[in-house]
Amino acid sequence: MASAFGHFGRRSIQFTGFRRILHYDPCNVVQRSTSEIRSFHLNRNVDASIPVAMPALSPTMTEGTIVKWHKKEGDPISPGDMLCDIQTDKAVITFDIEEEGILAKILKAENSKNVKIGSMIAVMVEEGEDWQNAEIPESSESSSEASTSSEPSSAPSAGEPTARIRMSPAARKMMEEYNISSPQTVPATGPHGMVNKGDVLKYIQTQHLTKIDLRKAAQVPPSPQKSTPTTPSTPTSSPVTRVPPSITVSPEGGYQDIETTNMRRVIAKRLTESKTMIPHSYVSIECKVDAAMKLRKKFIASGTKISMNDIIVKAAGYSLQRVQKVNSHWSGDSIQIQPTVDISVAVATDSGLITPIVRNAAELSLSQISSTTKALAVKARDGKLQPQEFQGGSFTISNLGMFGIGEFSAIINPPQTAVLAVGTSVLKPSAEGKPCSYLTVKMSYDSRAIDETEASQFLEKFQQVMENPSLLMV
Amino acid sequence: MFSLTLRQISRNSFVGANVSAFNVSKYSTVPEATLDIQKCTLHKLEHGPPTQATVTREDAIRFYRDMRTVRRMETMAGNLYKAKQIRGFCHLYSGQEAVCVGMESSITKDDAVITAYRAHGWTYVRGVAPHAILGELTGRASGCAKGKGGSMHMYTKNFYGGNGIVGAQVPLGAGIAFGLKYENKPNICVTLYGDGAANQGQLFEAYNMAKLWNLPCVFVCENNGYGMGTSVERASASTDYYSRGDYIPGMRIDGMDVLAVREATKFAREYALNNGPILIEAATYRYHGHSMSDPGTSYRAREEIKEMRETRDPITVFRRKILECNLVTPEELKKVDIEVDKEIDKAADQAKKDPEIPLGELYNNIYIHPDPDYTVRGCDPSIRVISH
Repeated sequence: MASAFGHFGRRSIQFTGFRRILHYDPCNVVQRSTSEIRSFHLNRNVDASIPVAMPALSPTMTEGTIVKWHKKEGDPISPGDMLCDIQTDKAVITFDIEEEGILAKILKAENSKNVKIGSMIAVMVEEGEDWQNAEIPESSESSSEASTSSEPSSAPSAGEPTARIRMSPAARKMMEEYNISSPQTVPATGPHGMVNKGDVLKYIQTQHLTKIDLRKAAQVPPSPQKSTPTTPSTPTSSPVTRVPPSITVSPEGGYQDIETTNMRRVIAKRLTESKTMIPHSYVSIECKVDAAMKLRKKFIASGTKISMNDIIVKAAGYSLQRVQKVNSHWSGDSIQIQPTVDISVAVATDSGLITPIVRNAAELSLSQISSTTKALAVKARDGKLQPQEFQGGSFTISNLGMFGIGEFSAIINPPQTAVLAVGTSVLKPSAEGKPCSYLTVKMSYDSRAIDETEASQFLEKFQQVMENPSLLMV
Repeated sequence: MFSLTLRQISRNSFVGANVSAFNVSKYSTVPEATLDIQKCTLHKLEHGPPTQATVTREDAIRFYRDMRTVRRMETMAGNLYKAKQIRGFCHLYSGQEAVCVGMESSITKDDAVITAYRAHGWTYVRGVAPHAILGELTGRASGCAKGKGGSMHMYTKNFYGGNGIVGAQVPLGAGIAFGLKYENKPNICVTLYGDGAANQGQLFEAYNMAKLWNLPCVFVCENNGYGMGTSVERASASTDYYSRGDYIPGMRIDGMDVLAVREATKFAREYALNNGPILIEAATYRYHGHSMSDPGTSYRAREEIKEMRETRDPITVFRRKILECNLVTPEELKKVDIEVDKEIDKAADQAKKDPEIPLGELYNNIYIHPDPDYTVRGCDPSIRVISH
């Protein structure tokens, strides 16, 4: 109850004169009649009933629900009385009314939903009036809303400093660049009829306009000329070079499209499919390749030219024979272990990366692998690979060691389940302190088909063989 | 507290001694009457304003009319806000009318006034018509600032607004007083602030400078008990705001009694012109919440507001007093009521229908006397508009 008077309660003690006022004040507080308070607000418009409109109790409110009426019809109302509880868009707020009188009629009963702001919810009359027969005044709220909304919209158009099409600065710049001389032709979708950048872009697309070089256009006497729509120049339709095209500033702009060959499009499609559909997982291992290199040198010395890649292919074949799970195809919901080890070796050609297959790689000798690979590479570069020579395969090896790449990850070639990415050999101090050559290989595998253990086993085997190539002889 | 005061009231009831206004002859009124005022609590003052005030008929009717106008205008502003005709901020003065009406009656048009954002009542008493005030709130061209500023930008001659930042107007008020003294004008500056602003640091800096140079500044703290939603006990270590000026003498007055305010202001003006700054704490109350987005009932009981409305409402109490002392007749006051209501209703209608200013006005009022060919660039580099 201390809150009822709040600080004023305390003040009544501090106000030394407060009680004395009451004592000497001839106009004693308690003798007032309640009607006296009300007579103060009496007699506004004597004959009119007062409409009570739905208030906007929050700035974002457009309509509300009347939850509860605190007054009944016929109840007297003083300023500051609670009239009803209104559910706004945010909370239930009590509507206090500042008018005075008697509540004559409740027009919207409890639980009336979606009562719009400004619509009449009740009618009040002055005190002393006959509230039973109060007339309901006509509502004029909607017109005021409409008039205020139309006013601001008419004001900007009337009061524009210059009569122009409204457009955003970006849109204006684009119009200049694309030489749209009459801005009215661009359909506008922005607020208040403003032309957006998007509208201009759409217009450009439909009309196939091209950019003009503004610097050149400035030199030309300023008469707007519509440039004929031309397609950007394309390189000749033969397979494009893999060298990035020279950046020549064509008259139309500073970029150039490279036409994709069929092959590249297919590669793109398949790679996307692979990367998005297959859950790739990666394991990598380092192999000490000194022994392998020594073996290679020995072979070269005795006449057979083999490369590191051949040894890797053979080693992979050996490991695949022993960890058969990795030599598999994924067929939608089951793993098919392939009968033979067919390793696809990635070859870089002008038109893209292709993977000719070295069939039965585990059974071939090193020199056989070498010659097969070389022949396939030549055919691939000439574009003369037969379909069966590159379709199929159970495992892929991609070697970027010749470019000096230390480590990289490759994308699995479906329906295969794994791909081995081979890096270059680097000289590093070994555990004993001696400088040794290490080769890093990273395998990307399909987690649906192969799990980590099997992948690790494969790499373990691979490392074993790489480090002890004499095992290959077995 | 409450029950204590109630007992006091009941003990003091003279059943027969109080003559109801309605029994005395309705047709004869006295030209003036003397009414008692509550004695003020003083700080570093030997004596304060008198405890009795004489008020003439004309003055009584004028006070009543002015307070009614302010009250009705604030109610109308509230209704317009609820009808979404006024947007943004709107801080209502209902309940505090006695302060502005009483003070205005004791100062001249050449005295300066500066207050914070609860300024509609002050704007009115300083001479701006209600339709200009309501027009400004609704953002129309007929507003006192062309509708450009709304609630926070109401100015007129010798009325410096209308200041949004809490407590910022107090150093400004001291500055205005400094200017008046510098120019040897026999005028004061009334600088108002609230109980919430009373704890701001810059006020004390202003007090220091005002006292140091004996500026003719009357600092007025309109203590309505709540700073937004915080009651004074929870906000201030010392709620004796009249003594917060320390070396500046002060007094606490009943801000709900227009005559008390008038007498105190008369006294303070005299004091300020001769002796330097003085501080008045007007104990008043506001019925609405802090602004229109505050219902005002989450930090105080509805019963408290109701109690204040019934027992200490400035208009009701003053009305009763002047009726009982036969200064006016009930019919006269009724007439005043009708006139005021009609005037404010008309002003509100006008405020709703008046046009807004054209878009070109956006570029004006940057410099007070710009060159004739001074142009302002719009958002777009190609738009340049001459500014006036």
